[in-house]
Parts: sequence; structure tokens; C-alpha cells
Amino acid sequence: MADIIQLTILGLALGGVFALMGSGLSLVFGVMRVVNLAHPALIIAGAYATYWGWRLLGVDPVLMMPFSAALLAVVGIVIYKVFFEKDAASAKYSDLTVLMAFAVAMIVEGALGGMFTNTQRVTSPSYATEAIFIGEIFIPKGQLIAGIISMTIIGSLGLFLKFSRTGYAIRATTQNREAAELLGVNLRFIALLSFAIGIALAGCAGSLVSFVFNFFPAKHWEWIAIMMSLVVLGGMGSILGTVVGALLLSVLASYVGAAAGATWSTMVFFVALFLVLLVRPQGLFGDKSELAS
Amino acid sequence: MTALLEVTNLTAGYGDGPAILSGAGVDVQPGKVHCIIGPNGAGKSTLLKAICGMLKIREGEVRFKGEKLNGLRPDQILRKGICFVPQERALFPKMTVLENLRMGGFMLTDDTVVNSRVDEILDRFPILRERATQLAGTMSGGQQQTLAMARTLIIKPDVVMLDEPSLGLAPKIVQEMFDIMRVMADEGITILLVEQNALMGLKHADWGVVLDLGRTLFEGPAQEILTDPRIQELYLGGKKAA
Ligand SMILES: Nc1ncnc2c1ncn2[C@@H]1O[C@H](COP(=O)(O)OP(=O)(O)OP(=O)(O)O)[C@@H](O)[C@H]1O
Ligand SMILES: [Mg+2]
Repeated sequence: MADIIQLTILGLALGGVFALMGSGLSLVFGVMRVVNLAHPALIIAGAYATYWGWRLLGVDPVLMMPFSAALLAVVGIVIYKVFFEKDAASAKYSDLTVLMAFAVAMIVEGALGGMFTNTQRVTSPSYATEAIFIGEIFIPKGQLIAGIISMTIIGSLGLFLKFSRTGYAIRATTQNREAAELLGVNLRFIALLSFAIGIALAGCAGSLVSFVFNFFPAKHWEWIAIMMSLVVLGGMGSILGTVVGALLLSVLASYVGAAAGATWSTMVFFVALFLVLLVRPQGLFGDKSELAS
Repeated sequence: MTALLEVTNLTAGYGDGPAILSGAGVDVQPGKVHCIIGPNGAGKSTLLKAICGMLKIREGEVRFKGEKLNGLRPDQILRKGICFVPQERALFPKMTVLENLRMGGFMLTDDTVVNSRVDEILDRFPILRERATQLAGTMSGGQQQTLAMARTLIIKPDVVMLDEPSLGLAPKIVQEMFDIMRVMADEGITILLVEQNALMGLKHADWGVVLDLGRTLFEGPAQEILTDPRIQELYLGGKKAA
């Protein structure tokens, strides 16, 4: 029993981090219908920003988060301006955007490799190596902190989307671009803002990831598949769905990992991706009609 | 009387595609209901989209209160007081009725104004108050159309353009939509209506416009169009109309 509880807690903590990693991707997809394959590479960029702040200046990774978010938001704005802006006012982003995003992922990976080599890095603030014991249950403090901070950020994002004027505009654009525009939403501005927020979230995730995983520039390939499975399971563009998908799959992966070994635990994400596409392509919270459009 | 909205000789199309409209126009008089009729694919929806800034105008002019609107974005044209309810899919299906109404007031920056106007609308349309927390996408077709039309009232527009508000609705419900439109007109809102059911549309209109192949063939008092033998023959399904 204690095993199950422990595995669940570990799965939830990691799932929280995955949820944060996927939420920016989901936000961008919802508003722009662009599958930003560069998202995980940008998370790694955030992890590097955090790493150097911690390594050179001794700043705690969590405290590096606002800086990483701001830096990545700026990077996001530049990427948006260069690659996506020209399509922003048209009914649909061109089919080339996936390839462009792929190119951005390669560029980011190449740049990080060029600057920082391919050595594996990790930040190790004291909490990253500590653990909490509750009876027989053992919880690594780093993962717990990362999970809690992730869920706090996602919760704030949810409140922002639900209640603020800009949040209304973002949700409206996600659900019906044309109608949003007709009610006075400036689609270009909303696309730019959503992209910037989405990539800033990648920056936040990068800071947390820096002490949860070892990372190196090419690590993002592993995450793309994981994140795609979360986003697809939740229903493309549904942030709530992404969060639920992340928690569900991570807990499952945690059980499978314990039962069958770590290599099998990542398989959970890939099998889920495959099954969802096969059985319920609109995902848990998605809408069938959206697939058609 | 000078026209409130003057659309002259429009040429427009989608993206770089062929011109769908060429020589489309309409004179919109303040406070009147105008009905655009024409066969499927005539360009009726395209004309409304061109007026509200969703399509680039290649030639011709849209003037509103004497001011040229060519080249403005939809949000800018909305701010001038022209509101467009598109054919189908006008709502945000996963927002509640209340959120849809609030979204209708997006361009008003003062939240207290939005709230009080949303409240007025809920008073006027009890069905919407009853359904306030229901997701818009789960309502019946008639309720959704009611919401889409009622939502325009929040910004107190000068002109409301309705694209086939009767589409897919039962006859009894269609009548309700025309009643709502009538109430809007009686409040002084100028209406530009596109109707597939030409007879129905013209009966509820003051002014009729016949559009075919992207151009305006004829415009005149709705009564006159209803009784014009040539138009009856071509667009009103023969003698039945009389
Ligand atoms: N998004 C679009 N892209 C390209 N062409 C379009 C688009 N929408 C409409 N068209 C074309 O424009 C022409 C006019 O279409 P439009 O929708 O304006 O007709 P309509 O008069 O509103 O017809 P209906 O009564 O069927 O609604 C048609 O030939 C149609 O194929
Ligand atoms: Mg039409």
C-alpha cells in the first residue's frame, strides 16, 4: 500500500511538471493551431538560462524562474515575428508552420550545443538532493517542489484565462477565431501574446526541469513525443485536458516503471498517444467538430 | 435621405482567389430593414464579410456616415458601429451563455457597463437568463441564434448585419428570429439581412436587394420586389410569391 501511495505521489509530482511543460504547447496550439515542435527545445533553453544563473551567480533555480520566463518570452516574440506573423490575420496558418517549428527546434538545439556543448547538466540546489519521509513513504523534495510550483503556475494561468479580459479573448479565439475577430478581438495581438505566454511557460518549466532531470541540447526529442501524447490525450488545445492527461499518464508511467522497469515507463506515453489517436482522436476534453475544421 | 452605409461597386474575393464579388453594392438607409436575396453561391455572405473587413476590398467603396471604411480591420469596423452575425458558428460553444454575452461587450472597456448591459439583455430574453450558465454549444439552434442576435445589443450598434438567421430552424422558431429582428429595428438599429428564404426575408424587410453572380442586379422597396414578375420568376420560385 505504501508503495502505491509513494508511486502515486511521485507520478503526480512529475505529472505536474509535465503538465507545465505541455500547457504552453497547448495554449499556442489552441490559439494559433500551430503544433510548435520547438516548444521542448525552448524548455531546454530555459533550463540552460537557469543553470548558468545558478552555476555562475549562485542564484537558486526557482528564483531564476522569472528571469528565464522573461528571456524566453522575448525569444518567443522574435520567433513569432520571424516565422508566424505573416499568417496571423489569415483564417489559417499555413501548413508550413509545422516544418518551420521543426526548423526552429533544430536551430535552438544547434545554438545551445554550440554555446554550451553536449555535456549533461543539472542544477543541484540543496532541496534537489533531499527527501521527505512520511512513515515508509519517501518523496524527493526537488520533484515535490517542482510539481507544486508547476500546478500553482497552471492554476494562475487558468484563473487568468477564465476571468481576465485578455483571457476571454484568448479563449474566444481558441474556440472560434472568426467570431472573436467580429467582436473586436485583434487576432494578431492575441496570437503574439499567446505565443509569448506559451514560450514564457516553457521558460518557467525549464527552470524546474533543470533540477528534476539531467539535460543536454538534444534532450528535447525525448520530450516532444511525451508532450504530444499529453496534448493529444487532453484534446488538442485544451489546457485542462493537458493537465489531466499529464497527471494521469505520469502516475500510470510511475506504476509501470516500478513493475516493469524504467524503460517501460516512457512507453506508457507512446502507447497512449497511439491508442488515443486510434480510439478517440479528439482526446478527453476535445471536440470532434474541431478535428474536422 | 442620405444613406447611412453606402456600398458601391465592390470587387472582392478570398485570398488571392478569383473575384467573387464584382459590382456589388447596396444603399443602406438608417433605421430600415434591408434584405439581400439571391441564389446559393451568389456572394451574399461574401458581401457582408467584405463590408465588415474580413475580406480585402479590391475595388469599390464602403462608406459609413460618409467615412470610407476600406482597409479597416473587423475590430475597427465594429468600433464604428457595424456588427456582423455570421451564418452559423457565431458563438463560442464552450463558453457559457453569460460568457458569450460578456464577450459581446469585449470592445467596451468598462466592466460595469458590460455587466449592466448583459443584465438588461438577460431581462429582455428570459430564456437566456434561464440558461445563463449553460454552455452555448449545448443549446438548441433557436436558442443559439437568439443568443447570437441578442449579443449584438450589448454594444448598441448602428447597423447589425445578419447572415441567414433562419438557417436550419423550424418555421415557428424562424418567426421568433424575425420578431427579434423587428424589435431591434424598432429600437432604431439598421438591419442588413441575408436570407435564403427570399419570400420570408422580403416580407420582413423595407428594402430588397437582389444579388447574383457577385453583382447587384436590382434594389428597391421590398414590396416592389415581392411583386415584380421577373424577380418572382427568377428568385421567388414563380407565381407562388403573389
Ligand atoms: N472561404 C472561402 N474561400 C474561397 N471561396 C469561398 C469561400 N467562401 C465562399 N466562397 C465562394 O464564394 C462564392 C460565394 O459564396 P457565398 O458564401 O458568399 O455565397 P452565398 O450567396 O452566401 O450562398 P449561400 O446562400 O449558400 O450562403 C461561392 O462560389 C463560394 O464557393
Ligand atoms: Mg451565405
